[in-house]
Amino acid sequence: MPTSVTNSRPTYWRSLDQLENSPEFQEFLHREFPIAASEYPEGVSRRRWMQLMGASFALASVAGCRWQTEKIVPMAERPEGYIPGEAEYFATNINWADAPRHLLVTKYDGRPIKIEGNADHPGSRGTADAFTQAATLSLYDPDRASYPRLRSEGETTAKQWADVEAELGKLAGEWSGTQGAGLAVLLGNTNSYAEFDAIDALAKKYPAAKFYQYAPLGRTNELAGAELALGDKLRTHYKLAGAKVIASFDGDLLTLHPNAIAHARDFGASRDPDAGKMSRLWVVESTYTTTGTSADHRLPVKSAEIGALVAKLRDLVKSKAASAAAPKEVAMPSADEFIAVLAEDLLAAGKDGVVFVGERQPPEVHAIAHEINSLLGAVGNTVVYTAEPAPETALGSITELVAALNAGSVKSLVILGGNPGFDAPADLKFAEAVKKAPASIRLGCYDDETSRLCRWSLPQTHPLEEWGDAIAWDGTIGVCQPMIEPLLGGKSTLEVLAMLAGIATPDARQIVADAVAKRAGEMSSEAWNKLLHDGVLPESGLEPVAATLTGSDIQPPAASGGEGYELVFTPSAQLYDGRFANNGWLQELPDFLTKVVWDNPLLMSPETAKELAVEQGELVEVTVNGQSLELPVYLLPGQAKGSLAISVGYGRTAAGKVGGYIGEDGRSPKRELVNGLLGHWLHATADPVGFDTYKLRSSQAPYIATGVELKPKRHIYQLATTQDHHAIDQLGLEETGRRTGPLIREASLEHFGEHPDFAHHVVHEVETEPLWQLHQYKPGETAKWGMAIDLTKCIGCNACVIACQAENNVPVVGKDQVARNREMHWIRIDRYFKGDVARAEVAYQPIACQQCETAPCEQVCPVAATVHSSEGLNDMVYNRCVGTRYCANNCPYKVRRFNYFNYNKKLEAANNELIHLAMNPEVTIRARGVMEKCTYCVQRISKGRIHAKNEQRPLKDGEIVSACQQSCPTQAITFGDLNLEGSAVGKQHENPRAYGILTELMTKPRTLFLARIRNPHPKLAIAEPEHVEHGHDEHAHEEGEKHAVRKMKNLLPILS
Amino acid sequence: MASAELAAVPEPWIDPPWVEGANTYESITDKVSEIALKRETPLAWYIAFGISSSLAGMFGALIGYLIFTGVGIWGNNSPVFWGFPIVNFVFWVGIGHAGTLISAILFLFRQHWRTSINRFAEAMTIFAVVCAGTFPGIHVGRAWLAYWLFPLPTSQLSMWPNFRSPLLWDVFAVGTYATVSVLFWYMGMIPDFATLRDRAKNKIQQFAYGVASLGWTGSASQWRVYEKAYMLLAALATPLVLSVHSVVSFDFAVSQIPGWHTTIFPPYFVAGAVFSGFGMVLTLMIPARELFGLKELVTMRHIENMCKIIILTGSIVGFAYMTEFFIAWYSGNGYEKFAFINRAFGPYWWAYWIMVTCNVISPQLFWFKSIRRNVWVIFIITIFINIGMWFERFVIIVTLSRDFLPSSWGYYKPTLIDILMLIGSFGLFFTLFLLFCRFLPIVAMSEVKQVMHHVDGPAKAGHAGGGH
Repeated sequence: MPTSVTNSRPTYWRSLDQLENSPEFQEFLHREFPIAASEYPEGVSRRRWMQLMGASFALASVAGCRWQTEKIVPMAERPEGYIPGEAEYFATNINWADAPRHLLVTKYDGRPIKIEGNADHPGSRGTADAFTQAATLSLYDPDRASYPRLRSEGETTAKQWADVEAELGKLAGEWSGTQGAGLAVLLGNTNSYAEFDAIDALAKKYPAAKFYQYAPLGRTNELAGAELALGDKLRTHYKLAGAKVIASFDGDLLTLHPNAIAHARDFGASRDPDAGKMSRLWVVESTYTTTGTSADHRLPVKSAEIGALVAKLRDLVKSKAASAAAPKEVAMPSADEFIAVLAEDLLAAGKDGVVFVGERQPPEVHAIAHEINSLLGAVGNTVVYTAEPAPETALGSITELVAALNAGSVKSLVILGGNPGFDAPADLKFAEAVKKAPASIRLGCYDDETSRLCRWSLPQTHPLEEWGDAIAWDGTIGVCQPMIEPLLGGKSTLEVLAMLAGIATPDARQIVADAVAKRAGEMSSEAWNKLLHDGVLPESGLEPVAATLTGSDIQPPAASGGEGYELVFTPSAQLYDGRFANNGWLQELPDFLTKVVWDNPLLMSPETAKELAVEQGELVEVTVNGQSLELPVYLLPGQAKGSLAISVGYGRTAAGKVGGYIGEDGRSPKRELVNGLLGHWLHATADPVGFDTYKLRSSQAPYIATGVELKPKRHIYQLATTQDHHAIDQLGLEETGRRTGPLIREASLEHFGEHPDFAHHVVHEVETEPLWQLHQYKPGETAKWGMAIDLTKCIGCNACVIACQAENNVPVVGKDQVARNREMHWIRIDRYFKGDVARAEVAYQPIACQQCETAPCEQVCPVAATVHSSEGLNDMVYNRCVGTRYCANNCPYKVRRFNYFNYNKKLEAANNELIHLAMNPEVTIRARGVMEKCTYCVQRISKGRIHAKNEQRPLKDGEIVSACQQSCPTQAITFGDLNLEGSAVGKQHENPRAYGILTELMTKPRTLFLARIRNPHPKLAIAEPEHVEHGHDEHAHEEGEKHAVRKMKNLLPILS
Repeated sequence: MASAELAAVPEPWIDPPWVEGANTYESITDKVSEIALKRETPLAWYIAFGISSSLAGMFGALIGYLIFTGVGIWGNNSPVFWGFPIVNFVFWVGIGHAGTLISAILFLFRQHWRTSINRFAEAMTIFAVVCAGTFPGIHVGRAWLAYWLFPLPTSQLSMWPNFRSPLLWDVFAVGTYATVSVLFWYMGMIPDFATLRDRAKNKIQQFAYGVASLGWTGSASQWRVYEKAYMLLAALATPLVLSVHSVVSFDFAVSQIPGWHTTIFPPYFVAGAVFSGFGMVLTLMIPARELFGLKELVTMRHIENMCKIIILTGSIVGFAYMTEFFIAWYSGNGYEKFAFINRAFGPYWWAYWIMVTCNVISPQLFWFKSIRRNVWVIFIITIFINIGMWFERFVIIVTLSRDFLPSSWGYYKPTLIDILMLIGSFGLFFTLFLLFCRFLPIVAMSEVKQVMHHVDGPAKAGHAGGGH
């Protein structure tokens, strides 16, 4: 650098100007900033992080210059000024996994760390599902795209947003001449009024431009079905709270439906055996959904044959001839008998019945369901129709886009969101088609499979970083306010749409405000602030539409494939359509039924497996429409015979270091989550996780493929599961059968009515006197924390598992560790099968630390690292723990988790500050070599206690909510102070259904389960065991055991 | 003293001699001290030492890797939170049982045949305890904090350990056992050290043995004090023989895992420990007496006697296995019943039947005199006993794999590192043992002389230290 020359200053500046574009400068950039210049982003640097956090604080407290008008308003408490370390709560809405989510975000020091549902929003009522709660981890994902990239002639170069603006300016020049002819915009799922307006504005500016939409798990069939039956693409709302009989065909009403949270809450409310109120759920499906596992009656049928059954149901309902067709009493009904009894039940329920058909089924079947609902008189009661919000501009399908691309009519392709490069139907050959567009621009959170096909790859903001709005399922307006400034400098879909329309620096907040004003009228600033504060605009929902049937006696499409195998594509309950592949929490979330993690096995019934002579985990070559893929088999009892199911979304090649990444040069970065020798000295690459089943999916048969050929490969693939880690032998299966009865106590509603205390007679309950005086918890002086979990309500949706993981900084350990039974989840959902293999019933039991009064773990710890608190909690003192693991051995519930390795290694990695932010500052990060377990969210208890103390009042019931309880959509979990008179948990513990598990060990657990009540139809009910009277304890014991054995005798040789 | 009584009984009642051949006090001293002082080190020793010290080195390296990486390098999981390390620990503690039993209990019961083998057995005890002590130390998740198990009044902890925990009892039991065993062993060697000191020609040996002999002169007053102290230590060590393995068994018995929570554990563990200890003593002694020319001191009669003890303890162990099964059935406790059926017929059936074959069936062969007198067969059987006793501990540990809730059942598989560390611990054991064989008096010279037939009148020079 010149220093002595007096006139060097201008020279200096000029030389830098020159430098900027010189190849030397580019090289310097690569050397000096390899992160920005290389293919692979490592996250945000410390410097950048400090800048961002500074900006965030400024945003929260002082009005910054750029964001002057953009106020975000805390919901529950608004501290005067900024209190470091104090949590703030903000209501917001995001579109996430193709559905609107209504959130209450907890922020510490300006960073969102925990997502919960917005209790004031009718679509959430306080809960959020597993996908949504995992959004914070995606927000801080260091693998997200952090700068625009330009791919040309095999080279990828890092660019600035200014370059993007220049490029758009150039393109706008072309478009303005042709009214936008040649411009094609491909959108993912859109569910935002502001985006609708932006699309319409763009369409207005360029009338010749074309708009397309593609979501691999969209609602095409559902809307087409509504059009077929009702003459219009109407949205169907199911009101389950008042429903008495619910029939679900091949769909997931309770977990994967866009309105699942509300459905689950209503379903839970409709099943309150203590109040004598029980709906009856009938499910017909080929592969399990969580809805199917919660059913009172479930019929496994091939998906291709379900249409005919729905039609039959319609005929029976229409002719009101169900009673005649129904059998008298049958334990194992045939499909026809099942439908006949269902028809009878639906007719009896009349307008309180409801029939739901899942997206998998063709439009005709949906139409028939509308017909049945109409015949039942359910429309207006349990079924309500509204318009489907959509932009005015027509949106074409991806098939049309590919045709246009192949015809060469698309000059510039803009792909906003989605990931069609990965998930488009295989037969469309989307990747080849995209290459035909001379200009292609992609906006995406990651530089993923689709970005690699395009010339420009732009970083997209995370929904928590952007202004926007999410239209609730009922149409209620909810604004999405940024929770944090874009960490990695992205732009939102809304902003890019506006940029395409020629606005260089769009004001997204204003666009949103305008969109809201357009629908809800002009708003004062107070009203606007209130909208932000509440997260919901009341009374802004869609008006119900009085729809009438336009068609009747619609016939389902003939079941194709005949006797051959069918392959059913299901959404992944973990990765949805693959977009969450780089989210470790979701990758390691055990599947609700198979408990498989980090994989998507081919589900097959044991009967089918016998036909094929394949065993658990064996690879099978699946051929559909000429496409082949080798998949590992998972034998699932209750899967329809001849029907195979596979979830989509796995096998990503450009997801990131967690979900799989193969560089464009064929080289892969180092995988995360490696331990031991491998991790230290060998290069473990980030290989794709699971299998890319989109390769088998065609646009003709997106959900149900027939004519499937299977060829066993006689090679076992290792699947990692969190339950039944290894194949269980006959001996173990029989014992599991004997034990399940006492663990999951259940009865029919009828039996429960006659014997409300049946749960206490399943096993002989021994009343033993302790040898010494146990600790006394005096009411009024000290709290006595307790929990109750209602097994009648648990639907196994996994929301609590992710809630706990996010709240308690539970680490992700990776597939190899789970395969070694070292998963770390503090709460797990045990799953047991019951009954016949072909029609297995499923029961769930969420198990976390039972906080035993006389805890076996406490006694055996040599260093007193786990001790009883004055409030009866079984505390874990991490820094005293030396890791003898004796406590875990002695825990009969096996809820203790051990840090076999440093599972938080990535927190220590250099230049990886971003991931630190996802951690809850209230909870210790556990070191290698220490034990950990559920604490009943002790940090929340302490916080509540401190707040109450500051306000000089006693704690109120329900004031302290554990993370699992908070997230439970069906409200199955109750937590509170057992010493507080009238507390909800105290009442639950008094409930005659309440029982503890393994109480014969004198553990005196603080968590009790409420026995599961099913509501079988009398004609299909399996006879209940004889009730055992009080006072014959010896006898009762024997009888009880016998019942348990009898009930579970047919427990499945699942894996044998 | 013994010979005087023997003279009064009829011929057939007279015990055959405990020392064979034409041995005199002098020849015994010669033979034993020669091993440490003069004799050329056999090539076999070098080879054996090379192998075992390499394995011990590997053991050390693996411990280093373990501490740097985490206990996850082992196969331990959930529900089997304890795996090979604890199996190895209990195995080695068991091996370390025979020494004190031979030294202390047999001493108190005046079993004179112990004299030729006690030094050997005691040394084995110490080395086994060293191996055993290594495992719990490195087994904990944070090995650098393992000292927190000791009741140290440090400000860092500000509290005592949890005295209710069997692991803490373990610390005391094994600690006491190790201390007393070392003292006992060392004290027994003092007169022999003095002999070596007096016979040593080279300065280093003279100095080393001189320091070790603590100024022993062999005077009557020293002998008087020595014999008393030896008796007292023996009396002190005797309860330890029973206590250490009883306490180790409490690690299991005090927990509430089905298959662990049984009152039979303490006696069953002690019997098993003696069984395995004698097995190991024989495994080591048979080659050693061959190698170092000690056949006249460690006679077939010694070996036969040890085989008889193996029959006894092996039968107790077998009986304990049956009792466990009976009680599991008789108790009516479903968990207990399943734990035992699962042991025999569940996923680990093979381990169970290896254990039964090695521990129950193989020692019964010693009922035959011909087998009891065939060193090759004995050697093979004792190897089986070692294997069987290791598997006994393995079977106990993997009972964890199926406890109460079927949902948390699992399967334990050791990793390569588990296996290498087991092998490494044998390397450490044999390294120490080979060093002992080479440099220390491997037979208690002074004590052997006491049991010799004093046919040629009073001892020429009393005990060792006389400088023959």
